[in-house]
Amino acid sequence: MQLDLKTIEALAPDQASLGAAAKLTKRSNWPRLEAYEHLPLIWGECQGSGSNPYRVAFDTSDHGYKCTCPSRKFPCKHILALAWIGATAPDSFALVDQTPDWVNDWLGRRRKPGQSPIPAAAGSEGKSIDEATRPAESAPVEDTAAAERREATQRKRAEDTRSAVSAALDELDQWIADQLRLGLAGFVDASSERCRRIAARLVDLKATALAGRIDELPARLMALRGEERPDAAIRELGKLVLLAKAWRAAPDDAELKRLVSTSETRDQILANPDAIQVESDWEVLGEKIETRRDGLVSHATWLLDLGSTTPRFALLLDFFPASAGRRSGAFAPGDRFKARLVFYPSRNPLRALVAERLGDVVAGAWPVFAPNTAGDPLAAYAAFQDGAPWLAECPVILPAGAIALDEKEGAWWQAASDPHGIALPVAGSVSQTLLGLDLAATAALWNGARLELLASQSSIGRLDLS
Amino acid sequence: MSELDQAGLARLRDGWISGGAAFELAPAEWKEVASAASPDEQERRLLAIAAQALDVALRPAAPKTLKRRQPLPVLALPMLPERLRPLLRAALKYAADARLKTRVATLVASRGFVTHPMDWMPAASDQAAPEVYAPWVDWQAGADGEKHSRREQLTAETWDDFYPAARRIALADLRRAAPALARTLIETKGASEPAEVRLALIELMRVGLSADDISFLKSLSADRSGKVREMAGRLLARLGERGNPTDAGPQDPTAELAAFIEEGKSGFLRRRTTYAPIKLKSPAQQARRADLFASCYFGDLVARFGKTEPDLIGAWQFGVDDNADRFLVLMVSVSGSDAAVACLADMLVAEGGKLTLLVLQLMLRLDSGRKRLLIRQILNDAQNLHALNLVEGAEAGWLEWGDLANGKTLSALRSAVSGDNDVMKRSAEQYIEAIGFLATAATAEKLIGDVVAAGLPPASPSLGLLRLNAALAENRSQSDR
Repeated sequence: MQLDLKTIEALAPDQASLGAAAKLTKRSNWPRLEAYEHLPLIWGECQGSGSNPYRVAFDTSDHGYKCTCPSRKFPCKHILALAWIGATAPDSFALVDQTPDWVNDWLGRRRKPGQSPIPAAAGSEGKSIDEATRPAESAPVEDTAAAERREATQRKRAEDTRSAVSAALDELDQWIADQLRLGLAGFVDASSERCRRIAARLVDLKATALAGRIDELPARLMALRGEERPDAAIRELGKLVLLAKAWRAAPDDAELKRLVSTSETRDQILANPDAIQVESDWEVLGEKIETRRDGLVSHATWLLDLGSTTPRFALLLDFFPASAGRRSGAFAPGDRFKARLVFYPSRNPLRALVAERLGDVVAGAWPVFAPNTAGDPLAAYAAFQDGAPWLAECPVILPAGAIALDEKEGAWWQAASDPHGIALPVAGSVSQTLLGLDLAATAALWNGARLELLASQSSIGRLDLS
Repeated sequence: MSELDQAGLARLRDGWISGGAAFELAPAEWKEVASAASPDEQERRLLAIAAQALDVALRPAAPKTLKRRQPLPVLALPMLPERLRPLLRAALKYAADARLKTRVATLVASRGFVTHPMDWMPAASDQAAPEVYAPWVDWQAGADGEKHSRREQLTAETWDDFYPAARRIALADLRRAAPALARTLIETKGASEPAEVRLALIELMRVGLSADDISFLKSLSADRSGKVREMAGRLLARLGERGNPTDAGPQDPTAELAAFIEEGKSGFLRRRTTYAPIKLKSPAQQARRADLFASCYFGDLVARFGKTEPDLIGAWQFGVDDNADRFLVLMVSVSGSDAAVACLADMLVAEGGKLTLLVLQLMLRLDSGRKRLLIRQILNDAQNLHALNLVEGAEAGWLEWGDLANGKTLSALRSAVSGDNDVMKRSAEQYIEAIGFLATAATAEKLIGDVVAAGLPPASPSLGLLRLNAALAENRSQSDR
């Protein structure tokens, strides 16, 4: 590797980035560090603040780089940290003879710069590696009065937030009553404008998460056929009523706070002794990437626990600004890995963080889950709703079945054992090929009206359907 | 949920859709739960109950008529091993169009595998897909009846048991093995088929075409489809049967075409006849000449000059008028005899340079040996490497390292990938992809190492097909053990 610290200094956009990078050079932040045997290329996965690790690659010859984090600094702290480790501890990188697909994608897309790399001496004014590595001056010792003032401020802020959210829910209640009074036919037609208005009001009153959900409501309605929309509107608005009531009953409940106002940070979740931790083999079932009306992109990665006897899922959820451009995820559908996941405290724990990635797992079939006694493929959904009736969707494993078409070419999943009975409508269009395959098991998200297919096991192996 | 509840829910739903208070419309039990001080709160409580009822107690009603497709047929070759699918997908992703994607599938089939259907499926209209995919082509075309594609003997009795793509392939096989039997089948079963199918069946007569087919082909001169008559006429012309044996005087199109060609002499010691296109004076003349080349038969033109096919080909002055050269080659391709096609191809390949490219017009008539010769010639002078992507029907996986190393191609590729010219780099990547299809596994492996050493990024997507090629060989050797 032809890297030195002067080069990293020159590359850094500012001193703050160098300082942040210095903190990331600890080996424990990097579950994977690899280098290509035949090329000046290093890459790694850095555990950032998102639920997925960031994927970072660096070309040590021309200093080209790629990172999946949403930072607007170029290069970001992850790139600088990777290069820093490359310069100071090259032995940390495992030498491999094959580049992973995501590195290949980047290499395939990138254009090499026409000019030579930045000379180490140039561009390093005002930035210093030495300064970045200098231990921070010890914080002045806080006196008791100051600590009390700080705590009081925090309490006051929390109280203000709670009051604001409470007011927000009052406004939401009134808004829902207004929609019923004006008629759901009109609401469905004007949902985009009406939801936008109440969402903006909720943001003002600090019910940010709830605002995001309401902002996306019109899109969920429009994804359905016209005759289904009034029922969907009743479901959506009814769930909002339930959520508001639940929050009023337990405003400190972590799950409800997450759904109404703001979510905990990664560090808070990792430090939470009540958070469930599961170490197991996981398979990436699929991804769902949606650009929201508030300018954020939500990137959901659904995982299946391969070590559980009953279907257990995990959801890695990240948000980043749409303006940051397209991001590649840390995982591809079908990937399998061993990891310790920490779940956000919840009645139905789903959302999780990868606390520790412990290596890859070989591909294979899913475990055979015991069929539910009721013979109902949506029994898990019903149980899910019992615990948290305000939730919009739930992952399910469907038994053997196939995809069939109705007269309007709409797709339905149909149970194999009962071709005239259980059938569930599938969201969007499906590949024609899928219509000719028998599905041994299917992972999907059910939202009360449609199935969103994630993946299936079939006689010809795993099918990626997300 | 009880029927009463369902009826109540329906009333509530109707009430809320049109707007206004709906509390009184609710089932009695719901009203009890939802009763509250304010009317708005009552409505909200009812809404929450209704939402849960819709969510959990009611399911979307499945239509009575859900259509299921026939199961996707199992193909005669095993599916590509799971571990090779990422390489396949990478190669397919890099392949720019449907033709190049089919080429990837052809390479895979040549190594004894078929693709996973979610990675690649032939289209219903795909006639270039490897034969092993015929059941999928028929499946894509919606052949959903009781019958299944079968790989059994095609006879008059089993004719209807075959779907179109499978039948076309079985018939081509039969033409190779027992041409007379196949001809009889086409004669008997074709008559009742629509013109489009009849045309496709007659087109198959090109396989194993011989003098024995003359009388049947002549009988098609009375066919009700003009396209079928035209196809039969071309096939007859290939067999030396003149389409226009009598001199029709000044109205004879062959005579009109001959008037566009000038007979001359060349050589000092040994005078020999030459034929060259005359210089045209107007676009109208150019258009007329193009029409005549397209509609006349080569055998008739040769007879007009009183020569043999090889004589006319040998005497043609290539390079005088590029368009006329192209028209003549196309004419030979359509209506020349097999010997004329071979003679013309050999001559053009031997000439080298840009004349070699004219052979591309003859591809459908060339045997695999001549196709290989053409490809070797293209690789040898490395002047027209883009033509590698234009060679139709080339075989996969035969190109040896020597074919690359002995000519100028390898050095041209090295120079392009190590240089700074982006256009040349991109072109070189396309050539590498084309060679990825033609090369043996060993050549593929070696070429990857060579171009990477020359400066091509090892992860360049253009190496996708080469990598798949090389990996397919590894897999074959492992499964053979």
